[in-house]
Amino acid sequence: MRIVRLIARDELRLMLRNRVALIAFALILLLTGAAVASSWSHQRAIAERRARHQHAAERAFDAQPDRHPHRMVHYGHFLFRPLGPLAAFDPGVDAFTGNSMFLEGHRQNTANFGDVRQSSLLIRFGQLTPAFVLQIVAPLLLVFLGFGSLARETERGTLRLLMLQGASRRQLVAGKLLALGAVALAAAAPAMLGLLLIAGQPGALALPMLTIALGYGLYLGLWVVLILLVSAVVRRSRDALLVLVALWAVTSVLLPRAVPDLAGGAVPLRNRLQTEVAIARDLRRMGDSHDPDDPHFTRFRQALLDRHRVERVEDLPFNYKGLLALEGERLSAALFDLYAAQSFAAQARQNAMVDAAGLLSPAIALRGLSMAAAGTDFAAHRRFLEQAEAYRYALVQRLNRMQAEAVTYADDSATDAGADRRKRIGAAHWQALPDFRFVAPTGATLARAALPGLAMLGLWLVAASALLGWATRRLGAGR
Amino acid sequence: MTLWRHELRLLLRQRPSAFALVLLALLSVAAVATGMAEVARQRAAIAAIPAAQAEDIGAVADYVDRTKDAGSAAYYSFHPTWDAPAPLAFAALGMRDVAPYMLRVRALGLEAQIQDGDIFNPQIALAGRFDFAFVLVFLAPLFVIALFHDLVSGEREAGRQRTLDALPRGGAALWRRRTGLRLVLLWATLGLPFAVAALAEGVAFGVVLLVLGAILAYLLFWIALAALVGRLRWTSVANAATLAAAWLVLVLIVPTLGHVVIDRLVPVGQGAEIALAQREVVNHAWDIPRAATMRRFYAAHPEWSDSPPLGADFHYKWYLAFHQNGDEAVAPRARAYRAALERRDRAGRALGWLLPSVGVQALLTRLARTDLAAQLAYQDRIRAFHARLRSFYYDYVFHDRPFGRADFGRAPRFDDRAEARRQSTSRAIG
Repeated sequence: MRIVRLIARDELRLMLRNRVALIAFALILLLTGAAVASSWSHQRAIAERRARHQHAAERAFDAQPDRHPHRMVHYGHFLFRPLGPLAAFDPGVDAFTGNSMFLEGHRQNTANFGDVRQSSLLIRFGQLTPAFVLQIVAPLLLVFLGFGSLARETERGTLRLLMLQGASRRQLVAGKLLALGAVALAAAAPAMLGLLLIAGQPGALALPMLTIALGYGLYLGLWVVLILLVSAVVRRSRDALLVLVALWAVTSVLLPRAVPDLAGGAVPLRNRLQTEVAIARDLRRMGDSHDPDDPHFTRFRQALLDRHRVERVEDLPFNYKGLLALEGERLSAALFDLYAAQSFAAQARQNAMVDAAGLLSPAIALRGLSMAAAGTDFAAHRRFLEQAEAYRYALVQRLNRMQAEAVTYADDSATDAGADRRKRIGAAHWQALPDFRFVAPTGATLARAALPGLAMLGLWLVAASALLGWATRRLGAGR
Repeated sequence: MTLWRHELRLLLRQRPSAFALVLLALLSVAAVATGMAEVARQRAAIAAIPAAQAEDIGAVADYVDRTKDAGSAAYYSFHPTWDAPAPLAFAALGMRDVAPYMLRVRALGLEAQIQDGDIFNPQIALAGRFDFAFVLVFLAPLFVIALFHDLVSGEREAGRQRTLDALPRGGAALWRRRTGLRLVLLWATLGLPFAVAALAEGVAFGVVLLVLGAILAYLLFWIALAALVGRLRWTSVANAATLAAAWLVLVLIVPTLGHVVIDRLVPVGQGAEIALAQREVVNHAWDIPRAATMRRFYAAHPEWSDSPPLGADFHYKWYLAFHQNGDEAVAPRARAYRAALERRDRAGRALGWLLPSVGVQALLTRLARTDLAAQLAYQDRIRAFHARLRSFYYDYVFHDRPFGRADFGRAPRFDDRAEARRQSTSRAIG
């Protein structure tokens, strides 16, 4: 162990003497610091702004005067997707999805005003976040610092010298691992410190944060092992550098872009126009409330009349128009759910293809893991969309029920001068409606979603370590 | 000529160099192919609009024809608009994956419709597109580094430098040949797949030349950087590490830093606030005297004020009027929002003058009409079309003319080319 420590200390001393390495290391610390600070303030500003908009929308809704309930169905409601504290570490898809949604009756609107459409073209170059620095920049720094650690010794013949002095190959590799591992820890420290700061925020969950820390630890550890592996196998340090930079470029830049593109092409999504036309078609087949002779609504009316033993809708104990609205909304919402489920399933298939490519690129595995644990991945957005739709449906149906119960059929059908006044119900009705509360996932749910990525990184690490063990035994052979 | 052929043989005998060139060629071809496939998908989606639209509007016509109510026709009819990809779009898909290229609008308030998006997978969009612009901007410099980092230092390390220095004029012709050969090979591996695809897609010849020039200039920038680093007479390893670090800074780090700075310096008011404000104005109309709404509307649009006065019954002209009032109430905000987006975009492009990576990306997306300016131009076309829709329906609604099945066929049809022409003439007049 003493020898291992000695070798590690020697390697670190060499790095410290390398001025370029020191500058690079200082720069990455600065960069991470900037990323933590800007990402955190960005997240807090977004979270605060969305909460403010949400309150404004709720106040506006509650402040609506006496109205016909159906007017409120069209007045609708605005929802703003809340942003969890871990988004300060990895904002994931937040900028790429709309973050506000208009809810109204018989229509399902898109989430609008995503940052990607409000930013300059620079946003497509990547976002400066702690996750970006650790996923992309840190491995390259480790490559620069570590590519020569073993190749240099082989190249210059110092390997033999070390072994003559009684150091075994295992000790040598272990010492270099220790040194580069220490560098990796130091490089990751500011980002992890940022994570700790975020942990102080209300709503930050311990389990996902541990998962993130573990995931990034595995990832950087994997790069340390890979670097030593290449440095051990390749004879010249220049070749080691080129191989490692190529490996980094392919796994961290090329594949994370090419694979999603292929997945997107392989599983087509139905666009909004076709979805709307298809929903309208299905709706006409199920029952057309505009058509007085529509079989579905004729049966619906007859069943109501029979149940209440009356002849005409005017004699029903409640407003038939409200019931018609309830039934119409029920039919259309079922179709919205059906088509949304199909689209979500197709998108999940695309994402599963990308996730599987984590076996080709540890960066892909880590990115999936990181977003899943931070609650900023597609699943998180879907969670918001599904809760928003559930809220929309509940809200509209409550209003439709008000129309059925608090407005009489006679008033609702009247067109005389005073009819408008009689159709309106008290504003207290709107104030009594519950506000939207996003149900955030539990820490266990988030951590569980990150498990596949974690397993893949573990697999990578095991495989790379086994290879390094093999390369260690062959180190310096044939020279 | 034999000297050139000799250099080529020397270069290709180095297995890493030959491998790098083949890989870059494969990547260029793959990127061009995925870009063309994506553009073909978008064209097919646009080509599928008329059939879907005919079915949808047919059903509305069936319903409206019973009452001949023009207001119902205006309310229930959605009209498609689209933004066909420009010939060069395959090379730089730009924002076309996150901003809609098809949008249906109806003659109601436009501000509540124009910001709607299409369905896309955010996790796919987050990764960015694998298009030709990506290969050029992100990957090509790495290949330059691979081929150029040891151009001189490799000879020095092999002990041949002094011999080469002894050539006439210090072997300047040799270095020129070697540099020129590598440049031409890189340019060809990138430029040939691009040019073939561009001509197949019908890109104008001048634009193809312009892009080829941009490729050349971008390669030259990286070669110059490699030469600059080479002059420091460091080892090949140090050269490679320095150049890779420069790539990291110029292609990844500075653009992300720039994004943060621009977001801070150029604030964009929240678009959602426009939607909230428009909704308030529109819905408030139900709580104020209807005559007030009509007065405001007629004051801004006297051409419809010859319409008969409102009765006690609901009339769609009142409904359409307050929707338009709502749009007009937030028009200054919508203009300010748009101006802020343009300011941000300009700031990003300005960085392109300093940063070749950003500059090339900006140039390609501009030429391919896939940038923010193209998005905003599409929104302008939608606005112009929407204005035509309004006057078409208003003519029926405000003059109480019946709207029969045949009238659906008379509705304005979106034609992206004609709309663009109208736009440019109105800009020339204005």
